Amino acid sequence: MKTKFALYPIALFTAFSLTQAFAHHSFLAEFDPDSPIEIEGTVIKVEWTNPHTYFFIEVESEDGDFEEWALEMGSPNGLTRRGWRRDTLKVGDIVTVTGTAARDGRAKANAETVVLDTGQRLFAGTSRPDFVEDNN
Amino acid sequence: MLLQCIKKLIAVAAIVVLHFSISGTTLAQPPGPELDRTIPTPRLNDGKIDFGGDGVWSLPYIRNFADRIVGGDENSAVPFLPWTEAMHEYNASNNVAYDPEGFCLPPGGPRSMATPYPAEIIQHRDRIIIIFEGGGHVWREIHMDGREHPDLETYVPSYFGHSVGHWENDTLVVDTVGYNEKTWLDFGGHMHSDQLHTIEYFTRTDKNTLHYEATIDDPGAYTEPWTIAWDINWSEGQELADYICQENNKYMIDLVDDFGNPFFESTPVAR
Repeated sequence: MKTKFALYPIALFTAFSLTQAFAHHSFLAEFDPDSPIEIEGTVIKVEWTNPHTYFFIEVESEDGDFEEWALEMGSPNGLTRRGWRRDTLKVGDIVTVTGTAARDGRAKANAETVVLDTGQRLFAGTSRPDFVEDNN
Repeated sequence: MLLQCIKKLIAVAAIVVLHFSISGTTLAQPPGPELDRTIPTPRLNDGKIDFGGDGVWSLPYIRNFADRIVGGDENSAVPFLPWTEAMHEYNASNNVAYDPEGFCLPPGGPRSMATPYPAEIIQHRDRIIIIFEGGGHVWREIHMDGREHPDLETYVPSYFGHSVGHWENDTLVVDTVGYNEKTWLDFGGHMHSDQLHTIEYFTRTDKNTLHYEATIDDPGAYTEPWTIAWDINWSEGQELADYICQENNKYMIDLVDDFGNPFFESTPVAR
């Protein structure tokens, strides 16, 4: 029965999808599919802008320094059709993000999933060409 | 109790099916629930096909037009001229980094029907207008009043060119010339010249299906005309949304050329 309940939040965030995640620009030109990342941090800013929604998190390194990461998601229209709302991701939320790092080495990545500290797991509308949603 | 369990199982199964059918596990196929393909094509009072209704057309993501060639044998390939073949190879070599649509420029031509945001087709008495949510929130106009194309010696080429349409039975046929050279045919880097002439065929074969075909006739880029086709799904109850691509295009700001220099010396978009 746990499986059943685990499915509901995923359904919520996909049942509204109308179009596919779209690489308005070339994903592979900007991000390196051989550089997957998983980072945890605190949301410090959310930008509901086109052509991509961005959010920024502060990540603490092992030596106690903080680094700001910029994380690209899908466009606002695509995310809202997937069930995202203005308050889905808020400043102060602690999140774990999986995604693909930028080729240029900066603290920037394309986000694939965002897991809130409540355990809710969100699809971030990645445009990675070979991305397959992991529903487990 | 047993009945309740069965009901719950059916509900879970429905969600799983809904999930996989709507969200899609690949980007190659358009998502969407299984649509009923037996509902008759709606018609206007004058009997013509109605391309509208309470919904939008959910355009698919067709990245490579070479995969959608129809009308030839199974070995049909894009009939490149040497320069378009060389440019296609170059564009692939840099992961299509310099795709104009990545700069939020309009997709132009048939690519506008392969850019995966919704669209509406609005039929007036003397013209048909297609409104695209994607491609930077653009529209195109198809003249249905019997006019001819303008003299291309004096016509200023444009992203969508000059389109005239007519009906052939239940198919809307749209002939377009006057394209500029600022777009690519597709995401994969097939290019075209300003000699591009397209003939598009729009057929609503049932309420939920729009069959689209386009012949690409461009003697400046290809040795012979070639034709591509795909189906487009209707999304009942959905609406167009806001999509102003040029608002905050960080990709464009950071883009460098083959030598590592900024691709754009300056950009009008907001940082």
